[in-house]
Amino acid sequence: MSDEKSIRDRLRSPADTSEANSGGDSRGSDVTESSFQQTDSAAVLAASGHDEEQRGTPHIPVGQAGHARHEQLSEREARRAERKVAGLFMLSVVGVIGFVVTFFAAPFKFAEPNNIWFTPLLAIFMALALTGIGAGAVLWAKTLMTDEEAVQDRYDFASPEDARTAAGQAFVEGFEASGLPRRKLLRNTLLLGAGSLAILPLPFLLDLGPYAHKERLFRTTAWKKGVRLVRRNGTPIRLGDLALGALETVYPDVPGGVFMPDTPTMLIRMEPSQLTPRTGREDWSIEGHIAYSVICTHLGCPVKLYEQQTHHLFCPCHQSTFDASNGAKVVFGPAARSLPQLALALDDEGYFIAQGDYSEPVGPSFWERS
Amino acid sequence: MTVLGKGAAGTGKWFDDRLGASKYIKKSLNKVFPDHWSFMLGEIALYSFIILLLTGTYLTLFFDASMHEVVYNGSYVPLKGVTMSQAFASTLNISFDVRGGLLMRQIHHWSALLFAASITIHLMRVFFTGAFRKPRELNWVIGTLLLIMSILEGFAGYSLPDDLLSGTGLRIAASITQSIPVIGTWAHVLLFGAEFPGTSIVGRLYAIHILLIPGLILALITFHLLMIWYQKHTDFPGPGRTENNVIGSRLYPVYAAKAGGFFFLVFAVCALLGGLAQINPIWLYGPYDPSQVSAGSQPDWYMGFLDGSTRLMPNWELRAFHHTIPFNVILPTVVLPGVLFNIVGAWPWIEQKLTGDRGYHNLLDRPRDKPRRTAIGVMGISFYVMLLIAGGNDIIASIFHISVQTITHTLRVAIFVVPPLVYIATKRVCLGLQHNDEELVHHGIESGTIRRLPTGEFVEETVALPLSYQLTIAGPKGLEALESGHNGHGELVPAGDGPVEERPKPRGFFRDRTIDRKEPIRPEATMPPPEKTSRT
Repeated sequence: MSDEKSIRDRLRSPADTSEANSGGDSRGSDVTESSFQQTDSAAVLAASGHDEEQRGTPHIPVGQAGHARHEQLSEREARRAERKVAGLFMLSVVGVIGFVVTFFAAPFKFAEPNNIWFTPLLAIFMALALTGIGAGAVLWAKTLMTDEEAVQDRYDFASPEDARTAAGQAFVEGFEASGLPRRKLLRNTLLLGAGSLAILPLPFLLDLGPYAHKERLFRTTAWKKGVRLVRRNGTPIRLGDLALGALETVYPDVPGGVFMPDTPTMLIRMEPSQLTPRTGREDWSIEGHIAYSVICTHLGCPVKLYEQQTHHLFCPCHQSTFDASNGAKVVFGPAARSLPQLALALDDEGYFIAQGDYSEPVGPSFWERS
Repeated sequence: MTVLGKGAAGTGKWFDDRLGASKYIKKSLNKVFPDHWSFMLGEIALYSFIILLLTGTYLTLFFDASMHEVVYNGSYVPLKGVTMSQAFASTLNISFDVRGGLLMRQIHHWSALLFAASITIHLMRVFFTGAFRKPRELNWVIGTLLLIMSILEGFAGYSLPDDLLSGTGLRIAASITQSIPVIGTWAHVLLFGAEFPGTSIVGRLYAIHILLIPGLILALITFHLLMIWYQKHTDFPGPGRTENNVIGSRLYPVYAAKAGGFFFLVFAVCALLGGLAQINPIWLYGPYDPSQVSAGSQPDWYMGFLDGSTRLMPNWELRAFHHTIPFNVILPTVVLPGVLFNIVGAWPWIEQKLTGDRGYHNLLDRPRDKPRRTAIGVMGISFYVMLLIAGGNDIIASIFHISVQTITHTLRVAIFVVPPLVYIATKRVCLGLQHNDEELVHHGIESGTIRRLPTGEFVEETVALPLSYQLTIAGPKGLEALESGHNGHGELVPAGDGPVEERPKPRGFFRDRTIDRKEPIRPEATMPPPEKTSRT
């Protein structure tokens, strides 16, 4: 029943600490003169008697069973504690030396051998240096500094009623002295003038971006009639280049077409019999080749995880899933619209070209879209 | 007078002649701070912000916030010759060619995660202990704003390197902006200066990340601390602790040494994480490319709940009159956080409304003593955690071999079913803990000793719970009860002989506090053995 014992000890502890703490504190008495009261410790407070009555608190001891503190330490124990703290402080010196040596002597370039140890070593020495000071300071405070439990009264920050009234009064009087309540013309023109100032920043805000034709930005892409579908390296794709079940990301053969945010398209080949074209789009695919926008209609991520067997296109961002064999309709997830389909054709040399731009805006929905 | 004393007095005189600082310094050095481990959570937030400022300033010396395209020619061989933005190239430069740059970058990122995490946990501590009550409502609002700022700041920060992962995140942000009804397309082009991605966003985010939001955070932290200083810290009930005092250690030297030491310890942890735990390895992701994405893309943790809500949302979209309102986007990403943060910010007033309690509170609640508040808090946490789980549904699916669809469908139901169950369970647990406390206060601790009375009856002896524990358990109310039973000689007598009904019963929102309902605390259980108390 060691628990029980310690609890009994705690009950006894207030008396002990009050003796230990009654050593007096020159600062404390100074403080009591200021706007709030402070005494050395509740134990002293309780011992002095009169305070106790003033404050109406019962004789409740403050002492906590805590760490062995300065007052309870013998001189030998205190010296041992001091040595521990000093040891931690010296750890910082070791850490800093290690850090500096590593920093300038160890290899860190990607091509250099053993460079992978550079950052971990730096971190370990840095942490040593920081821990030494940090842990030393905490241990110092816990073992060697005065173990007092200072009591400080809270003060009431609410102002007395008359001060509140006076403040309100001062505000009203100042307002009246300004003449604003009486002089209607002054008031109205001030409101109008200050209000119109709010318009000043608007031109700056409106010039942050090209709003003039913003909808065209969202509605159109660089795909045009007759533009070839090219791979990332710029090579065009001929009918038959793609294996059955394959998916190739393609871009329009225009300058910078590879890095545009709305042009990436996937060309998928499946058995023509597996393909169910949407009505009116029967001639958009060629011999099982079908092309959809890569950009998710939900939040614009590239929908590029393709499951060959089910023909499902999966968006890794929010898991919207589209059925590539069935007009890229949504089969799961938060996306509400099918992926836009690019109408395919073949040019004279047998390369895939676009019949035109996407028939609907690529990417997420927006207000102006029907 | 010692040399040190003379020096201090001399310096003090110099400043006092000019600023009259001595009075204030004397008062401040003696300021008393209460001590509890949970009060350090806010300190962690403050310290991680300082670490962010230090490491961030260093990073600005090397980072180039430009989307101008360059061909990489640094020392990281796998990306040599790849076209990328200046921002990405300079981040590679910091990671591979600036000595210790990788350590700085990773400490910065880790302390950003820690910043948001410690704010969140600090907020929970303040919530569950009722520290937000009058007079501290304003500081609660500032704290909520700081949480929002930390999330925005983190997002702006990790978007800067212009890597594939952050670019994907930016594209989602651009799409969300675009989806907002009426103003969406305007906001999109004005924010990005073009259709996404344009060439301005990294530079703009940089200004926001290193100037605008840090400035706001700094200002808010200043107000936060000033108010804590002025209003004084709250404290838990306990021996000697009343609504009108603070018990603890003085600012100087004990509190300063502990808090200062703790800063270095927090920094040490960040340094270790930054050097030993790789974070955001942008060289593995590669530069941003609108047509590329990697599976298992995950944002930093503080964005996870929004990612989760977006994943859970059914695909509702309203199309009418040639306009579209994408509820599948704006409900989980705009409306949900808006409502959530508003509820959090307004909670002090919501609770005042529910309880009718408009009094000052300097003593904290133990969470169990306010079962409904605690239950609401835990319910909120369960809701948040489920969003986080939903945000990782693809990872969970691949680790546990469950289909993503199953997880999503389950969570769509669970998000409505689990929080109420959690509410009920938490309330029961709180009440159970209260009953346990009550048992301890009224009947003491079972000693395990069986005594046989002369009559032959066997009784078990109980040991009175120490006074300090009783006071902690009983709280201010219990303190009053004990005070009323104080006989002026340092001994406690039965708390009044009047009928139990005369004591005020808690009503309304917090009526579940059982301890006040029962009979007054029994003297034989509470009174410490006399020879052990009055030795002063």
